[in-house]
Amino acid sequence: MIQPQTHLNVADNSGARELMCIRVIGASNRRYAHIGDVIVAVIKEAVPNTPLERSEVIRAVIVRTSKELKRDNGMIIRYDDNAAVVIDQEGNPKGTRIFGAIARELRQLNFTKIVSLAPEVL
Amino acid sequence: MAVSTTTALSIGGNVFSGQLRRRELNESKLFQKPRSHFRWSCLNDLHLLRFRTKTSNFNPRGSSLPSLYAYGKEADDAYLSNVNEDTDEMFDDLMKKYGEVVFRKSDRKSPSAELDDDAESLSFAVEMAKVASDVKAGDIRVLFVKPLVYWTRFFIIATAFSRPQIDAIGSRIRDLAEKKYGKIPSGDTKPNSWTLLDFGDVVVHIFLPQQRAFYNLEEFYGNATLIELPSENQPPFHARE
Repeated sequence: MIQPQTHLNVADNSGARELMCIRVIGASNRRYAHIGDVIVAVIKEAVPNTPLERSEVIRAVIVRTSKELKRDNGMIIRYDDNAAVVIDQEGNPKGTRIFGAIARELRQLNFTKIVSLAPEVL
Repeated sequence: MAVSTTTALSIGGNVFSGQLRRRELNESKLFQKPRSHFRWSCLNDLHLLRFRTKTSNFNPRGSSLPSLYAYGKEADDAYLSNVNEDTDEMFDDLMKKYGEVVFRKSDRKSPSAELDDDAESLSFAVEMAKVASDVKAGDIRVLFVKPLVYWTRFFIIATAFSRPQIDAIGSRIRDLAEKKYGKIPSGDTKPNSWTLLDFGDVVVHIFLPQQRAFYNLEEFYGNATLIELPSENQPPFHARE
């Protein structure tokens, strides 16, 4: 459940370290974003000397949430943190590697590029 | 959790039987029949208690347990004790036979079926790679990634040198897959600097040279086995430049 003002970790090597959600992409007035949803975010903290800088506005895909993700078979996945991957307008990730485990739902939502860069898919 | 519920239940049963005994003392002979019935229930409670303590560390979600809750009019003492002995023995036998084993799902495919699927995907992947080389894609690699990731079997990585070429490769692959194999890919529909076509078992990546060097997927999947392409007698991309 990511909403505007939520701070998220960055799960890739794009250079951003922390994001703050400022808008959930979808229907007008959409309240919450879950795993696989695209948000507009602002970079609150960045690694020095990288292409991305603080206070830059970017798009990101949510890959981990503390809110439980329920599957049809009864499995429930809950991560320790909220994390997102920075993408560009075309949907390509800005980093080259993803960190940590991600959920397989991203593949169904057409983020197979992120899945193919991830070290572990749950 | 299941253990705690059983203990709660058995405690409730004891309290219940205790109250009944007190009530029995006060009651007149008029209630002879119900009293005997109550006695049975007390006895049954004891049986239940014994049964539960014996099997409390066993998985209590077994199919034979719920029938034991139905004590009362229908319950026969002899029948119940028989059931208890039987189930105890049965559980002991089962524990001896299987121990604490986690079972696999029964709908798993046999190894031979898996091999057949692999061969089918391999022929599909090689065909797709051939199509890509027909449209002059450079440096085509087919990787067998099944041992590394569970979600697919083969990766095809190819380089195209312009967006129109990416479009041409993508549409050719899409057409052939739909015509010959009846598969429709998910993934990118428009040509992109990294175009991905997801056929389920086979995932096709078409890069521009710059993006290919940037993402460097071959290094990430360095442990995957490279499949030799039969028609690949052209020199690799690096040698040509």
